[in-house]
Amino acid sequence: MTKIDPDITIPDPIDLDRAEEERLRAAAGLTPVRTPGGEYAGFEQVGIPDRPPQTEREREIYTLDEGEMLVNMGPQHPSTHGVMRLVVKVRGEIIVDIDPVLGYLHRGIEKLCENATYTTVLTYVDPMDYLSTMHNEHAPAIAFEKLYGVKAPPRAEYIRALVVELNRIFSHGLMMGFLALDMGGLTPILYAFINRDEIVDMLSSISGQRMLFNFFRVGGVNFDTNDEFLSRLGTWRGRVLKNIEMNERMITDNEIFRARTINMGTLTGQQAIGLGVTGPNLRASGVPFDVRKAKPYSIYNELEFDVITQQGGDSYSRYLQRIAEIKQSIHLIDQIIDKMPHGPVQAQVPGIIRPRPGRAYGAVESPRGLYSVYAISDGGPNPYRFRMRDPSFISLQALPKLMPGRLVADTMAVMASLDPVMGGVDK
Amino acid sequence: MDWELLLGIGRFVLATTLLLLLTVPTAFIIIQMEMKIIAQMNLRFGPNRIGPRGIFQSTIHGFKVLAKEDTVPDQADRSTFTLAPWMVYMAAAMSMLVIPFAPGAVAADFNIGIVYFFAVLGLSVVGLLVAGWASYNKYSLLGGLRSAAQMVSYEIPLTLSIVGAVVLAGTLNFSELIGWQLENGWLLIWQPIGLGIFYISSLAEVNRTPFDMVEADSELVAGPFTEYSGMRFGFFFFAEYVALFIMSGILVALFFGGWLAPWPFPAQLTGFAGTLYGIFWFFLKTYIFVAIAVWLRATLPRVRVDQLMGMAWKVLLPLALVNLFVTAIAVVVFDVKGV
Repeated sequence: MTKIDPDITIPDPIDLDRAEEERLRAAAGLTPVRTPGGEYAGFEQVGIPDRPPQTEREREIYTLDEGEMLVNMGPQHPSTHGVMRLVVKVRGEIIVDIDPVLGYLHRGIEKLCENATYTTVLTYVDPMDYLSTMHNEHAPAIAFEKLYGVKAPPRAEYIRALVVELNRIFSHGLMMGFLALDMGGLTPILYAFINRDEIVDMLSSISGQRMLFNFFRVGGVNFDTNDEFLSRLGTWRGRVLKNIEMNERMITDNEIFRARTINMGTLTGQQAIGLGVTGPNLRASGVPFDVRKAKPYSIYNELEFDVITQQGGDSYSRYLQRIAEIKQSIHLIDQIIDKMPHGPVQAQVPGIIRPRPGRAYGAVESPRGLYSVYAISDGGPNPYRFRMRDPSFISLQALPKLMPGRLVADTMAVMASLDPVMGGVDK
Repeated sequence: MDWELLLGIGRFVLATTLLLLLTVPTAFIIIQMEMKIIAQMNLRFGPNRIGPRGIFQSTIHGFKVLAKEDTVPDQADRSTFTLAPWMVYMAAAMSMLVIPFAPGAVAADFNIGIVYFFAVLGLSVVGLLVAGWASYNKYSLLGGLRSAAQMVSYEIPLTLSIVGAVVLAGTLNFSELIGWQLENGWLLIWQPIGLGIFYISSLAEVNRTPFDMVEADSELVAGPFTEYSGMRFGFFFFAEYVALFIMSGILVALFFGGWLAPWPFPAQLTGFAGTLYGIFWFFLKTYIFVAIAVWLRATLPRVRVDQLMGMAWKVLLPLALVNLFVTAIAVVVFDVKGV
């Protein structure tokens, strides 16, 4: 391993001739990138940083052996699920190494939240993981209620569980569609969006907004159920199983789909635990961990449900896991509707909350795994520290472990099966 | 002056001009079908603004492509970059020469039509490879190399699958092949395995779903076409849809009786009326297969490049050889007419 000289400075590439560029680059420990035509392409090729590598990992990914090249996927690429950039090192079509580059959607939400009052924090966390908005609000609501020492009334807790399960269903449904879309199937994603639309209409009739619902409050929820919500819920409940079956018929038994996903991107239970992967991805690897069961929050200890697991750990198991969880969520919704008590939906909470100094932790099972919030109060009107653990970020860590040795085409298929949402990854 | 020769040249020029003109509405119709049929299958409306029920949408797209700025990447190999769309388009247009539209309506009815067809249509891959190489783009390069790998794999079963039919009919001329089918029934009955292999390989030949990994929009953005814009991109696009039409037409000519009606051809229909009748049936059958290809696109995901190659080499090629072997033995043993 050659020593990297940290003092070396590389001037603006425009001022240099090519030989000089190559010499400096070699001094920096980087193999020159060559174009298909054999010409030296310069530093800006695939966005290799214009400086000596800062870490061993950076040096490893940007150093090319004979016959290898770097392909830059994203941030503007049709299927990187938002704005992610993947630097893929390939030999022919076979992936040698893969390096996700994050931060293209970073909005500094944690810092924003630390400058907002506790009530308004719940509006800032909405656009993080934009496919599980309700879960995003649920975790801070739990944390702040612990911090302030207030409990949401029972009916509010039931409504929370109801909307959260509805959100889980459409999020999992979209994952199935995107998985097919990334393999070239055009139709399932549109069916998934039609199914999502029904649920979103329902949730907008209870919360007043279509995408970023902003429905949770510290100590309850914003609105009680109304007639429109309930009638939409009933209509949807009547045909949801048929819709799922239609999607399943189109994807689950499709020979091409199976050939592309079975034994593809296999994550063992041990690996998944080691990486910190949670949620459906972990359960698809055979580890029965579900926050709803392990650390029951809200009303989940009053409801009857099982922790479903799959044994495969491959993309197909992750897909089957989502279908199983959709069915289980429907089962939960049935129970919630049966048991829902009467009463108020909002506890008595002042407009500006000033909790006593302390710290609180709230964790929920989001469609992508363990989503949790850690808040520290210094007695002021806004959190002193507000930290979020987003499951997509952790799931994405598995990608460089799963891909080497596979083909370029599998990158998207495996990534879609891990179901990351870049809004959550970058915060 | 040899008037025969002049007449022949004049007829050829007229026929090629007509065929080149035919590619335009063909591409427009298939693009329109693709937009509208897939939309219906996706439970969408599809284009519905331009013209009644949006039927002029693809035409407008064509004009839009004409009006777009034509860019060449800075470091691209300009001459080959410019040449590539022309090669792909000409491969498709030239192979149209031998398509048997109707009795008497074949541009060049020569005796090795089938060989000519596969030789010329295979040239389009060269254009894709050149486009991938000249674009100075890694997605294009991967797409171009994929198309080369794909060609090596499927072109052999594609060609072998029809040798059985050729052996049976004893001709390489499309019109004579259809004449044989008139007497003995469509080759669909005689060569079902050949038909299956041909259909799968022909989808790969024209880069249709589920074998569209050359352009694979979710992986390679647009494959070899990534850097193209304006009318150069339009030519690729046109060539792709024209190739789909041609492949469906050849499928119909080889296995589904070409211009023949499903029932016995009326004897009184000769001359111009017979030609029109034949054209009607040919286009009807061809567009049915085009519609099936569009349907497949709406339904199926894409296979991986190694899966296609594995299938071509391990399944289709042995099957095609077995099919040819059995056909050849049967022709000798049962002394089929035409040998």
